[in-house]
Amino acid sequence: MFKNVLIPISSEFYNKNVLERGFSLAEKFKSKINLIYIIEEKTLNQTDRLTNSYRTPYEIAETKKEIIREQKMAADNIIFDDAKHFFNNKKIPFDSKIYQGEFSRVIKNELKNKDYDLILMGFNKECILHYRLFDEANTPIWVVNKNDGKSILAVCSNLAPNIKVPDISLKLSKLLNLELNMIYVIDIEDSVQVDEKIKRSDKKTEKDLMFIAQGFLQKMEEKGIKVLLLKGSFEKELIKATEKFNPRIVIIGREQKKKGFLGLPVKDLKRKIVEKCNYSILYLN
Amino acid sequence: MLNDKKFLKNLLKVHNRNDIFFIVFAFIIVAIFYIAPTPDGLTHNGQVMIGILIMAAILWITEAIPLAVTGLLIMIIQPMLHVMSPDEVFTSFGNQAIFFLIGAFILAGAIEKHGLHRRIALKFLSYFEKTPRFFTLGIMTSCAFLSFIMPGHGVAALFLPIIASILIAMKIVPKQSNFGKISMLCVAFGCSIGSLGTLIGGARNIYAVGVLSDIGINITFFDWMKYSMPVVLIALPLVWVVLQFSFPMELKDISAARKEINNQVSEQGKMSKNEYIVLGILIITILLWIFFSSDQYFGLAVIAILGCVLLFLTGVVNWKDVEKRVPWGIILLYGGAITLGIGIYETGAGTWIADKIFIIAGVNIYIVILMMIILTVLLTNVMSNIGAVAILLPIGIAVAPTAGLNPLVSSMIIALSGGLAFMFVVATPGNAIAYSSGYFSIRDLFKAGIFANIICIVIVYLVALLYWIGVLGLNIT
Repeated sequence: MFKNVLIPISSEFYNKNVLERGFSLAEKFKSKINLIYIIEEKTLNQTDRLTNSYRTPYEIAETKKEIIREQKMAADNIIFDDAKHFFNNKKIPFDSKIYQGEFSRVIKNELKNKDYDLILMGFNKECILHYRLFDEANTPIWVVNKNDGKSILAVCSNLAPNIKVPDISLKLSKLLNLELNMIYVIDIEDSVQVDEKIKRSDKKTEKDLMFIAQGFLQKMEEKGIKVLLLKGSFEKELIKATEKFNPRIVIIGREQKKKGFLGLPVKDLKRKIVEKCNYSILYLN
Repeated sequence: MLNDKKFLKNLLKVHNRNDIFFIVFAFIIVAIFYIAPTPDGLTHNGQVMIGILIMAAILWITEAIPLAVTGLLIMIIQPMLHVMSPDEVFTSFGNQAIFFLIGAFILAGAIEKHGLHRRIALKFLSYFEKTPRFFTLGIMTSCAFLSFIMPGHGVAALFLPIIASILIAMKIVPKQSNFGKISMLCVAFGCSIGSLGTLIGGARNIYAVGVLSDIGINITFFDWMKYSMPVVLIALPLVWVVLQFSFPMELKDISAARKEINNQVSEQGKMSKNEYIVLGILIITILLWIFFSSDQYFGLAVIAILGCVLLFLTGVVNWKDVEKRVPWGIILLYGGAITLGIGIYETGAGTWIADKIFIIAGVNIYIVILMMIILTVLLTNVMSNIGAVAILLPIGIAVAPTAGLNPLVSSMIIALSGGLAFMFVVATPGNAIAYSSGYFSIRDLFKAGIFANIICIVIVYLVALLYWIGVLGLNIT
């Protein structure tokens, strides 16, 4: 299922749990791990910009060289060393590379050059990364968090086509031997229905949305999955459900939420969910 | 028409839309102040100078154009709007402080060229390799000490690779280890605090001396140290304690750091002949500055240039080194800042602003001092240090007489508070350089910086009241 896994680590943030999770997935799925370390261009540019009136171009270039040298050293001596410890001991094939650039852009280039089944990464809201990747990549993204429960929480809603999520959740629950819980959220803030082609319908009434939801619930019941129907704001209901089910992984599909509270536009929904959720998330993009 | 579109496209490539908005907004402010009716008690020239001051503040805070270009803009806009004559503007740019600045940069360049700063840094650090806590105190003290003899951001750039390689040798994971956080924050804060200590530490120090000399108050190198050193010596250990409380130390063993420092020391080998020459000239220059920089002897600039000439005569630096290592941008920024200060002072704009402040806030020397410190600290955290000092110093000097303060006290308060940029990455180049190591987050910096700033505000306040006014008697104008 996840034969080729990409683990991107930014110079802005390193979480050892990502390697641990990569190791356990690779063991289970016989995956090949591709570890890339990204020296964050934004940090380098920020330093350049702030020092350009105080320091000469020669001095700025020297400092930049030093920063890059130090970042490479940190990658080699700390991160790749940890990776060797995790992967080499169990003979899991892994490859490591160092890039310089903007986090999301580097990963997107890597996805263009090679086929990956999964991006496995950490998240830190306190760094300067933008995480545009969540919305722009077509490959599934597994964001690792420290809380580790014993179930899978699959999330469906009127805002997504809900095709991949049930299938993959079912597969993963069998492969990882985890109990499967599923919720269906009717988002009353953005009351549209997203179809299989990810097209948003016109605004629907709550009754219509409920009717569609009931249809979905029936379909899932035929597959032997019980679904909890929730009504409210997608992200709020999702966070509440994670606290209730204490999952190891939350599986979310291609949610297309455009309007929030009082009809105000919603931006970076996926990033915000990762920020608020204390559990690992798998985005099936 | 087609060409106009092309021009606009190119302009948008150079600046982003926000930058263009701020540039236009800054000019509109000047235009409004130029054409608006003048209020009572303020001359038209004074009103235009306030407009130029606001324009400078907008451009320095947003950095829509390079800081140095804002400096040049300030210089040319004054004669263009007939506020000051070209002669007056460019004469103030010829202040001896500017040649002191050039000399100090060449000296720092020579130290950097021959790696003397690295040797001093490692020697210093080797005295502190006993426990992890003591080691972080060593980082802070070493950074502060080196910032006495070269600009603070240069010291941060020097310490970044030294400390990073020590942390990497110790397998300290970026952003996860409190020892790593404290070590890198000690670099940032140590450089900032140390840069207050002497006139070489930061261009804002020499800017304050330059403005004061234009109003007839002369400060020598030793005078500056006499006023600033108590702040440095009290702030260093207290800010270090703040860091220890903010990030409880998790490490007990420092042997890997000791090994790495020893490796780096042995890599350097013996001190070269050129290093001895640079060290000798540096000591001579500093001694001359301390004992002979008053006007009855040589003045600050003559000694600085003498030091540079000696460096050239002994062949330890050449002109290529000067081109490589002297940041002319900061000198232009300085030039703009000093003409702004003089303009605000001479057109009476500073006095008018001071009067308005007193009408609103009342005259209370204790509150005035506290407000000056807090305002400068807040401003220096969101814009360049010299920019913050350039904006507030002319107002501080104007406020002083009415508040019963010596202008020297208000200037020292603003100049020293201007160096206390602890809270944000963008506050000072030293913070940005230390942040680039990846060992602390923006939140870590803010968390430690806010407490460090509060402690330093109290220190400057108490030193001003108890030492400058109480002991040195700098109270009444």
